[in-house]
Amino acid sequence: MDTNSTQVRLSAIGIVALCLFAALFVRLWFLQGIDRQRFEAASESNRLRVVHEEGPRGRILDRNGRVIVDNRTTIVVALDREPLRKIGEERRQEVFADLADTLTGLGVPTKLGTVERRYEDQRYSPQEYVPIAEEVPEDVELFLAERADRFPGVVVERRTVRSYPYGSVAAQLIGYVGEINEDELARVAGDGADPPPGDAPVKEYQPGDSYGKGGVESAEESTLRAIPGRRTIEVNARGEVLGEIDRTEAVPGDDVWLSIDLDLQAHAERLLAAKIRSLRGRESGEGTLNAPQGSVVIIQPGTGQVLAMASYPSYNPSILVNGISSDLWGQLNDPNNGRPLYNWALQGTYAPGSTFKPITALAGWRAGIIGPGNEEIVDAGTYTLTDCEGAGCTFQNAGRKKLGEVDFARSMSVSSDVYYYRLAELLWNDRVRLGDTPIQDAATDFGLGVETGIALPGESPGRMPTPANRRAAYESNPEVYLTGDWFTGDNVITSIGQGDVLVTPLQLAEVYATIATGGVRYRPQVISKVTRPLDPAEPPGQAGNYEVVRTVEPEETGRVELPEDFYLKLLAGLLGVTQDPDGTANGSWEASPTAWAMGGKTGTAQVAGKADSALFAGWGPVAAGVQPEYVVSVVIPEAGFGGDVAAPLAFRILAPASDGTLPAACPVAAAGQCREAEAQAARASLGDVGSGGPG
Amino acid sequence: MLESAAAPSGFRSRNLGDPRRHVDVVLAGAVGAVLVIGLLLVYSATRRFGDGNGFVVRQVAFAVVGLAAAAGLALVDYRRVADWWQALYAVGVVLLLGVLTPLGTVVNGTSGWYRLGPIALQPAEFAKLATILAIAAYLGSVDRVDLWRLGAALTLLAVPVGLTLLQPDLGSALVFIVLGIGMLVVAGVRMKHLAVLVSLGFVAILVILNSGALDDYQTERLTSFVSPDGQSYNVDQAQKAIGSGGLTGYGLTNGPQTRGGYVPEQQTDFIFTVVGEEFGFVGSSLLVALLGVIIWRCWRAAQLAADPLGTLICVGVMCMFLFHVFENIGMALGIMPVTGIPLPFVSYGGSSLVVSFLAVGLVQSVHMHRFS
Repeated sequence: MDTNSTQVRLSAIGIVALCLFAALFVRLWFLQGIDRQRFEAASESNRLRVVHEEGPRGRILDRNGRVIVDNRTTIVVALDREPLRKIGEERRQEVFADLADTLTGLGVPTKLGTVERRYEDQRYSPQEYVPIAEEVPEDVELFLAERADRFPGVVVERRTVRSYPYGSVAAQLIGYVGEINEDELARVAGDGADPPPGDAPVKEYQPGDSYGKGGVESAEESTLRAIPGRRTIEVNARGEVLGEIDRTEAVPGDDVWLSIDLDLQAHAERLLAAKIRSLRGRESGEGTLNAPQGSVVIIQPGTGQVLAMASYPSYNPSILVNGISSDLWGQLNDPNNGRPLYNWALQGTYAPGSTFKPITALAGWRAGIIGPGNEEIVDAGTYTLTDCEGAGCTFQNAGRKKLGEVDFARSMSVSSDVYYYRLAELLWNDRVRLGDTPIQDAATDFGLGVETGIALPGESPGRMPTPANRRAAYESNPEVYLTGDWFTGDNVITSIGQGDVLVTPLQLAEVYATIATGGVRYRPQVISKVTRPLDPAEPPGQAGNYEVVRTVEPEETGRVELPEDFYLKLLAGLLGVTQDPDGTANGSWEASPTAWAMGGKTGTAQVAGKADSALFAGWGPVAAGVQPEYVVSVVIPEAGFGGDVAAPLAFRILAPASDGTLPAACPVAAAGQCREAEAQAARASLGDVGSGGPG
Repeated sequence: MLESAAAPSGFRSRNLGDPRRHVDVVLAGAVGAVLVIGLLLVYSATRRFGDGNGFVVRQVAFAVVGLAAAAGLALVDYRRVADWWQALYAVGVVLLLGVLTPLGTVVNGTSGWYRLGPIALQPAEFAKLATILAIAAYLGSVDRVDLWRLGAALTLLAVPVGLTLLQPDLGSALVFIVLGIGMLVVAGVRMKHLAVLVSLGFVAILVILNSGALDDYQTERLTSFVSPDGQSYNVDQAQKAIGSGGLTGYGLTNGPQTRGGYVPEQQTDFIFTVVGEEFGFVGSSLLVALLGVIIWRCWRAAQLAADPLGTLICVGVMCMFLFHVFENIGMALGIMPVTGIPLPFVSYGGSSLVVSFLAVGLVQSVHMHRFS
């Protein structure tokens, strides 16, 4: 072996070694010196998770601070599908079978098939936990938590959900809470459509968060939602939590006080339901009384605050707290089922019938067609248009009833149609002077044809037909409509709230509230204030335990000029409806009188092919110098005469309110105590009497 | 020559040949320092297993065994050890054969361990030493490396390479190849032959990669290095750990990646990520430098060795360490493909630690007995 050569070759190897070490140092410096920040960030995103915590929603209280919507904790068993995918088909099947058996054994009946279907359910995103069993008792939570190894991928979660101490009371009004969907997420995140006012904290959303759907839950979402908390936690490679790095607690949402009086609401709902149940299936001359739905709205005149808003049929929102199956969703929206999810009080539209007459009267008075010394006619039961021949030229009172001498006030009390037919024809014939739409103009003054602007989603504007909008509709779609012209007859049927006129029960209440206040219109409101509890452990409505964040003040939206002469006669006429022996609601008022006299108007609206809609709108007390307290509107379609059906219901709802004997609302926990009240309501509904006539 | 130079001083001349006077203290010191750092890293990497100090205690026990064995071996003249090369080589081969039988234990798809109660023995580690001794003894005894002798040396090399590939343990096979080439170069193989050999090697690698002889995971590891898109999870996490360590690191046991167990095989193959993350560039550089010192001292011992046998033993050990260090750290840094070979004196594992000690013992023996 040549030593020289060996030395050379050894040197070569030494150089190779030096080069390799140089490479290591260079790379090391590159990673740790130059690129350090990038790797630091990568390492952090690796191990730090920001956990978003929703925090409890604010509660919903009635005007007196009683909690209508509360929160409670529920325990949910769910699948985390990521680890389940990893353990393989065979082991997974074992886990599922074990889980189903175990849950069933612990008193939570669970089918293996259900677990498998949920595992495959594509509606959940891969990261999302898929619920297997809800409302699980605490011992199941303990059992599963202690056996995490035996049930990989099975998680037990505590969720805060809504609870409803009074069950279905005000269900459609308060709405419900569900998981935020993609559209809603895009809306709250995207265009900054409703950025928080001032420097209020952002209540950001993540998929899976809860979101108000319908009613006050939706309208006051930004108030009710908590400011989400953030927890930064460190996790290891297996996803186990090593510790908490940082924490910002969630701030609970603010409590929303409704203007609703819980007792009045519950009472109205109970009577409405009993009334509709007693009607259903009865026969009338116009057809079967199906009474598919109904609503009662009670407003405080002078503020616009809604005291009660009942919509039948209703539902118990607690069935929605753990998500909505498509079956259930279908049932709640089924027209054959009365669409329980609908708030018919503001989403339903109905021909107002005779309740519309004060508006026509105002138009006539403004035009000078009726007025002092010029307001009496002889009602012979029918009215034939002048210069008109044929069957379509004659209009009649309901039942062709001859009402004899009728002045303006009496036309209201006894509900003369002929009086208004004549008025409508004269108004139309004088259209060169008065324009095409004196009636519609008066209706617009009262707020018809547009939404009232109540802070609740889904409100319908109703419909106020005019010659112009009829023509526009016809021209845009000539196939559908018979004609684009407006005839005298159209004015005639519009004058008694028929034809194309549609109002919501809420609009109807607003019209009579405006009459009750002498012409001042207020926007209907369901929220009275927003508060923040001082001590979260104490009841949120307890006096002294909250600070007021915001108070909702009455909002005047317009004034309707009511000439004094006209107004006094209108009041006399509407008071006569209940007080005059010939009044259309006199009999039913006598049967269940309110403590003070009420004014109002019955309505019996004809609907082609169906039984009449029964309506009543009115207020009380009606007395000189006395502030009116309640305005009520009752609308039940396919129900018969307004004086027989709607008016007595209105009186029986307001009677205990008028003398301070309103029964307390029944919490679900004490449902038994309310059976007697239910039975009483049902008996009273059967015994309703009316004046025996429409109008 | 040195002996005669020292002769005039009669007192000292008697002791100059005494091997105990010629211990390479620098090498021993470097090994000791690396060992201590390694124990700290193993401690940090295994804390999260909830095994108390189990890993460290076992590693210390192995170190004690290794140190004793190394000391014993160093005191024995390496020529006496080399006399036994046939027997040692045969034992190595038998162990490598035996591990392929049901006597061996399969871990992560590789049949590379004998399980003896609580201890797992990795025969490939011992076979490395046996092979170094065998090739050194054979090539050290010939005056010229002609084609026949090259063939013989390659055969000595090929047997363990083939057997480790059968496990399959690609990393160890590569160690044999690298240390073999290093020894052949120093032994004086003709450059022409070497060039042909290296070319054949490349062809062989291509054939192996495409033949399906390797398991999918091995091919994937090798190709993931070539195509950075498919950079594997391990390497990704390793670089995050090292890179985020920055200049001085998070401090012992404070490395988030380490604490969270994000780097797989961290106490063994990826142990360098612990020093990278927890001691930063300063600590990592120190460790690399200390390992460099060990390799340098092996190289120096090869240079100073009294005979070709000693030179070749030291070159073999040096190349073995060099490849272990460069491959192990290189893969953690993302510049080498992922193969599971330990970092000498640092990675947790008895066989590797004891064999590393024995290898240093051999080098010390060469160094100490260079005058006798």
